[in-house]
Amino acid sequence: MPLDTSAYSLALLRVDGRRWNELRRIHAQIRTQAAADGSSYLEMGHTKVMCVVNGPSEPGPRRGGVGGTSAAGSGGGGGQSKDAEVAVSVVVAGFSSVDRKRRGKNDKRILELQSTISSALGASLHTHLFPHSTISISLHVLSLDGSLLAALINAATLACVDAGIPMTDYVAACTAGSTSTYAANDESADPLLDLNHQEEQELPGLTVATLGDSDRVAVLVCESRVQVGRLEGMLAVGVDGCKQVRGIIDRVVRDKGRRMLQEGTVEKGVGLEDMDLD
Amino acid sequence: MASIKRSLESDPFAANIASKVYVRSTKSGKVQKIVREVYLRQDIPCSSKLCRACLKTAPKDAAGRPIPFVLSDRPAGTSQFPQGHYLVPDTNAFLNAMDLFEQSSAFYDVVVLQIVLEELRNRSLPLYNRLVGLTKSEDKRFYVFFNEFRLETYIARDDGETVNDRNDRAVRKATKWYGEHLARSQPKGQAPAVVMLSNDRDNLRKAKLDGIPAFSLVEYVKQLKDGESLLDMIPESEDGELSKDKRLGEPIYPEYFTVSKMMTGVKAGLLHQGIFSVSPYNYLEGSIRVPAFPKALVILGRENINRAVDGDVVVVEVLPKDQWKEPSTQVIEEDNITKNENPDAEAGDDFVAGKERKALQEEVKRTHSKTTEGHAQPTAKVVGVIKRNWRQYVGHIDQSSVSQSAQQGRKQESVFVIPMDKKIPKIRLRTRQVGELVGKRILVTIDSWDRGSRHPTGHFVRSLGELETKAAETEALLLEYDVQYRPFPKTVLDCLPKEGHDWKVPESTDDPGWRDREDLRNLLICSIDPIGCQDIDDALHARPLPNGNIEVGVHIADVSHFVKPSNAMDAEASIRATTVYLVDKRIDMLPMLLGTDLCSLKPYVERYAFSVIWEMNPNADIVNARFTKSVIKSREAFSYEQAQLRVNDASQQDELTRSIRTLLALSKKLKHKRMDAGALSLSSPEVKVQMESETSDPIDVKIKELLDTMSLVEEFMLLANTSVAAKIYDAFPQTAILRRHAAPPKTNFDELSNQLRVKKGVELSVESSRALADSLDACVDPKEPFFNTLIRIMATRCMMSAEYFCSGTQSYPEFRHYGLASEIYTHFTSPIRRYADLVAHRQLAAAIEYEIVDPSVRSRGRLEAVCKNINVRHRNAQLAGRASIAYYVGQALRGKATEEDGFVMKIFSNGFVVLVPRFGIEGLIRLRDLADPEPVATYDAETYTLTTTGSREITVELFQKVRVKVTDQKDETTGKRGVKMELVRA
Repeated sequence: MPLDTSAYSLALLRVDGRRWNELRRIHAQIRTQAAADGSSYLEMGHTKVMCVVNGPSEPGPRRGGVGGTSAAGSGGGGGQSKDAEVAVSVVVAGFSSVDRKRRGKNDKRILELQSTISSALGASLHTHLFPHSTISISLHVLSLDGSLLAALINAATLACVDAGIPMTDYVAACTAGSTSTYAANDESADPLLDLNHQEEQELPGLTVATLGDSDRVAVLVCESRVQVGRLEGMLAVGVDGCKQVRGIIDRVVRDKGRRMLQEGTVEKGVGLEDMDLD
Repeated sequence: MASIKRSLESDPFAANIASKVYVRSTKSGKVQKIVREVYLRQDIPCSSKLCRACLKTAPKDAAGRPIPFVLSDRPAGTSQFPQGHYLVPDTNAFLNAMDLFEQSSAFYDVVVLQIVLEELRNRSLPLYNRLVGLTKSEDKRFYVFFNEFRLETYIARDDGETVNDRNDRAVRKATKWYGEHLARSQPKGQAPAVVMLSNDRDNLRKAKLDGIPAFSLVEYVKQLKDGESLLDMIPESEDGELSKDKRLGEPIYPEYFTVSKMMTGVKAGLLHQGIFSVSPYNYLEGSIRVPAFPKALVILGRENINRAVDGDVVVVEVLPKDQWKEPSTQVIEEDNITKNENPDAEAGDDFVAGKERKALQEEVKRTHSKTTEGHAQPTAKVVGVIKRNWRQYVGHIDQSSVSQSAQQGRKQESVFVIPMDKKIPKIRLRTRQVGELVGKRILVTIDSWDRGSRHPTGHFVRSLGELETKAAETEALLLEYDVQYRPFPKTVLDCLPKEGHDWKVPESTDDPGWRDREDLRNLLICSIDPIGCQDIDDALHARPLPNGNIEVGVHIADVSHFVKPSNAMDAEASIRATTVYLVDKRIDMLPMLLGTDLCSLKPYVERYAFSVIWEMNPNADIVNARFTKSVIKSREAFSYEQAQLRVNDASQQDELTRSIRTLLALSKKLKHKRMDAGALSLSSPEVKVQMESETSDPIDVKIKELLDTMSLVEEFMLLANTSVAAKIYDAFPQTAILRRHAAPPKTNFDELSNQLRVKKGVELSVESSRALADSLDACVDPKEPFFNTLIRIMATRCMMSAEYFCSGTQSYPEFRHYGLASEIYTHFTSPIRRYADLVAHRQLAAAIEYEIVDPSVRSRGRLEAVCKNINVRHRNAQLAGRASIAYYVGQALRGKATEEDGFVMKIFSNGFVVLVPRFGIEGLIRLRDLADPEPVATYDAETYTLTTTGSREITVELFQKVRVKVTDQKDETTGKRGVKMELVRA
């Protein structure tokens, strides 16, 4: 068994060999499922998620084909409201973690994830353009290794871009933590970027998402006890990480767009003249 | 449909990412496969001050501070490496010889590889912690190199390669890389050599093939200057591994079950797990408490004990009913039976085994003769050890096991070490310095105990000094009870107030120190303590109120003002947990400056205090209670005797004396109430050693006197503790630090109540503490006033011990303090000498909103850890104190012989135990001490009577008063000085 997170102070190396300010490898693709309006696949380290977006569409009698759970996002009464409703469903595959676990539909954690993602994207998507309709986002977790909420938000952003739903900017998310536990009262604790599963278990952490290149925080979730003095450092590192993440997903989108132009899948439209084709 | 498959080559980082796959099994037996990412990198420095290349990429923490390089630019050389060398030990080297690495004479500049650290952590957490401690110490220069994360030193496991082989290969690879890396930055031939240390022959051979300098520990130590003395610290097992043709004799002990077999057995209820403890009178008898049975299981005989040592967590199997036995009524001492055993002898030494068997045989005969009786207890045998609880043991070399030649030569020789703790078996030690070590107190550790050897084998750690010198014996005591006795480190002393002894309560009441403090300087406060007490924790006052009630205040030193949570001083105090009082020495929990000056509520000076103030009516009922931080000025520091004299002297009518009288009157009422509620008055033989003032040699032993003023202080302290406990529990229902005393299980009293019924016709009722208190009061022998005390002493030994706990871990009814008959209790009144009190102070300060709650006193997990530690330390401190008294009593009796009255406390079929109240000591008188030749004796277990015939004819009964001659005696074979008792008349 490898060392635990307390070994950080020995050589400033985390359990997987990263430094405090390094992201894990992020790999992302968009348009992975041609049949959907928008889709994406994203890996942050060993956390792997898939996302499919349908809509905006008018809600049918069976609620737009999404698994049934819809988190009340910006709109209250589904199709009745002036804004489009962002319905998010998250499914965690039984094989995603070490122990095969059955998660019910009404798992409180999942409900909370859904509503957080829904309101996070609601802040960026121009839902007012699609009254009486629903944007349904289905997320599937294939493998779990920490920073789940951040990976889900990033994947959902990518899929929404792919679906061509107007939005102000990317919502990019990542996690931040601290090298020392709450009770340890360690003055010299370093902040950490992008926690993996083991670190999430042992150390305090938070998830932060920002809007595009700005410092505007769209999501801030902290479920562990952390000393107030450390919060500022963690948040700064987290916001900085979000910018890096934004850069990565932006590159993914641009690469895909460039390839589609090359392949002639889409025509070069207005405003794309300046786009570099190599 | 687009494919999400991608080729690894397209990924620019592919080469830098590896994964670590391993399999682990959970407690429930499930097997899990864990996959972890590993990011390989090139910026992990070698940390040598010689290397310039690594300096550029040295990592920085979040504040931008780089980690300083560790390994010296001028490492020490050996005969083979005059240019200097760095060491890279493998896991085995640390596992076998951690003591060696902690030496201050050698083993500097050591590279600890990550893989080694990981393996060590899996094999032994204590060793891992010691190694981490070494890496943090600046002068030892141990550097942890994360070889698994560095691109050049990472290796993947090959097909068919075992994990161990892969790890060994990783160690070789890292060693090789280090060597090459350093050679690159240095002129040819000047780079320090990088030397691998291993005990594995195969690993050494492969290293030599690869051209990596590698040695076994022995080979390496021999190259050092003072190698000779260090050689002894290399444990036995390592020699065994290298010497190929060591013949193992017939195994003496049965083999242990496999872990999985034990686990399934325990789960199925067929086997039982518990902590093994050895009987203090019979080294061949142990017992184990398991949850499945109300009474302890008895484990008899060497084979059944099967290499378990006192304190080990073991798994036992219950033996069939026909092998159940009564617990031993015989005294069997290891020294006598195995006295002549030859330490070099191989297994199966029939001579001793026969003797041991004979001793046990007599027991079996006895039990078989009356199997009809239902006294037999279930017996069990040890089938496996879950966790060894081996520590370092203090002992001395058994003179008789040393051969003459060894005294002069430097030949390696096996000798026996007899540990001070009688429950620990003899340890076989191989050493080259027998001559120097004989007659010394030495520290040894046990390395292993294999099936083939009768005794465990161990190695020498260090010598404490001559036997029976004060320094050596005191240090031995402290080590034996794990008391931290080293001077406070500088980091701790840095936390003290800068003013030192000149610190004063600030004059201006606007000073931040005065915030929310009440000014109680005008009150007539005094303290009452034992003579010569320097750390005065508590002071008292009482004054009449206009409404006829009385205001009573207990003022406790405000230690939490000086010791802030989570600084170095707090950490040190939480480890020490208590001040340890020995006869001639006090090992403080807090530095002297605080304990005896700044915190101590000395008279005539102003001090910060934490006060509990009650309003009481004349019946000593509490009308109200309040808590406040305060500033006080004690008027006088009395000793118990002085205070008593003053109270008794009717001519003293000053206000201070009157207030003490008021307190005394109230305390009597309080005590009465407590006794009515069922509080027990327990007893233990307490004596005081008188020292000669100049040489501080013990000269006499006195029984402690009881004065009213002692009970005065005690009553108010109990009251304060109870009030505070209720308050902090109210404020922090989950995390209050409290003290409980569980009701003893009824079976604990079985033997005592049976003895009382048979011998004295008295019934002992144990339904409640009240019933017990009453029946103890009834246990009187009109002719013998001490009889009642004797019964109380024996009853005390049947009790559970009180413990600290965190309120969230128990339900409210479990909070009860059985002995004090109090629903809730804590320790608040001695923060200078107990850490629990300090925590209670912080919690109370938060509860009265004096300061904000510190996370360390709110985190339940942390408090539980604190409680666990202070419980152990508290117990050890008590034991150390008692052992110290016992040692000094022995010294005081040196060369004297006195006749004293004693009482028979316990009877065996071949001896009996006598308590001598005058000295507070217990001694064993064996049949063979009575007369020569040994008289024949018959023991009637029904009536607890031992009758001897033949060379001396006496009858000894339980509780009987006897006259004994007490002398000191030094056993020539064991080198121990002990009290020896001879029966004068029964």
